[in-house]
Amino acid sequence: MSVDFAIQVRDLTFAYPDGASALAGVSFEIAAGEKVGLIGPNGAGKTSLFLCLAGVLKPRATLLRVGGLDPCDPAQRRRLPAQVGIVFQNSDDQIFNATVFDDVAFGPLNLELPPDEVRKRVAEALQRVGLTGMEERVPFHLSGGEKRRVALAGVLAMRPSILLLDEPSMYLDPRGRRELIQLLHTLGGTRLIASHDLELILQTCTRVLLLDRGRLMTDGPAHTVLADARLMEAHGLEVPHSLRGNNIA
Amino acid sequence: MTLAFTVPPSISSFLSRLDPRWKLAALVLFAAVVATLHMLRTAAAALAAALLLALLARLPPRWFLQRLGAAALFFLLFALPLPWLLDSDGPNWIWGPIHLSWHGVESALLLMAKAITLVTLFLTAQATAPLETTLKAAHSLRIPDLLVQLGLLTYRYVFVFADELRRLRIALRVRGYRNRVRRHSYRTAGHLAGTLLVRGYERAERVGWAMRCRGFDGQFRSLTAFATRPVDVVVFLGIVASAAALAVWDWKF
Repeated sequence: MSVDFAIQVRDLTFAYPDGASALAGVSFEIAAGEKVGLIGPNGAGKTSLFLCLAGVLKPRATLLRVGGLDPCDPAQRRRLPAQVGIVFQNSDDQIFNATVFDDVAFGPLNLELPPDEVRKRVAEALQRVGLTGMEERVPFHLSGGEKRRVALAGVLAMRPSILLLDEPSMYLDPRGRRELIQLLHTLGGTRLIASHDLELILQTCTRVLLLDRGRLMTDGPAHTVLADARLMEAHGLEVPHSLRGNNIA
Repeated sequence: MTLAFTVPPSISSFLSRLDPRWKLAALVLFAAVVATLHMLRTAAAALAAALLLALLARLPPRWFLQRLGAAALFFLLFALPLPWLLDSDGPNWIWGPIHLSWHGVESALLLMAKAITLVTLFLTAQATAPLETTLKAAHSLRIPDLLVQLGLLTYRYVFVFADELRRLRIALRVRGYRNRVRRHSYRTAGHLAGTLLVRGYERAERVGWAMRCRGFDGQFRSLTAFATRPVDVVVFLGIVASAAALAVWDWKF
């Protein structure tokens, strides 16, 4: 049986202009519809990997396909935003328009969709994240949680088949975090979540990739990897609270 | 928050209901004429017209005067020395080493009148439509994409920048730092400015990434639709006719 891959990465290597290596020989595949967690300590290369997948950074790789497109090819990279949505760590970096409506409409407008379709998608995306009625609000009047939801709505309005979420629970209070988890459960498509919030990974992902110092250390089922106390400790992480007492020593 | 970072009030007025494109075009033309005036009486007439517009816009007096006062103080720095610096064949007053010329006084008053008129026009435009609407109106008046986007991004991030500055100042204060005239303070202010610049650069880079990830190709797109009514055209013609009359008056006499 052939598997439809959403993401294929083989021998991906990336170094920043100052020579610092961010990713070294990373290889993995993610099937369409799979929910995968990306974990690792600070500086492991999680954000750099996301930026490579989204076509922002230009890595070297023997194979790199995201939604069937090559992010390193300029012509294919221009088609990537319709396929891949990325929610950045800091929402202020992502909400660059003066009103919530304008920000959520930014992506669909760049896809050159008809105005009615753009309005429909904005309304739908805001409704999904629970921000209906806030269209005219200005970003600097929003709370951290609201900004996070606006950022997510801006990506959802583009209806990408692949969603990359970088630290989605950052700046969220417990209620906001719970709502985010519920929202993630309602989203279809392929999803890759980078987070230090391992409980969130456990609740929303079936598979986990562990990165450390730019290398892929482990790739396995979420419950097995996250419950491995020795592995977690070796890479500066901790077994999620809900899995303690159930450790694989 | 400082005055510059306070969001202008949203007031319903005759001017705020006008099509922003016609209003912006009229105010820009009027401002351009004001900048070229060289007679005190025409500048005074322009100031009176601008104050009338501010009245029609129902600007809150406190909000308006605070900003006008701050701008006037700044322009006074340039206007005040003029009576002592400019010389002419006209009336002069000499008291010992102090030499004052009427031409200098006139130039100072002209500078102040023109500056206050321009600030009044700007505040009227600012308070009668949200800045993003004014910038979208500018875009529909064929102002280049790049300028409109720069305006929108500056407006969006000036508040983030102000917030960052506030956090840095708190971080300094909680570690005992107080602004005093001494070398350490100057060095700290330099580090603060440097930190803000570096953070601003890094943020700009991340914002650029986020824009590209959502398909941005350098073109400004918006769904905001403007509609022209007869009253918009009448007000536009009225303001432009006043500007033309001022220009002729200034040029002829």
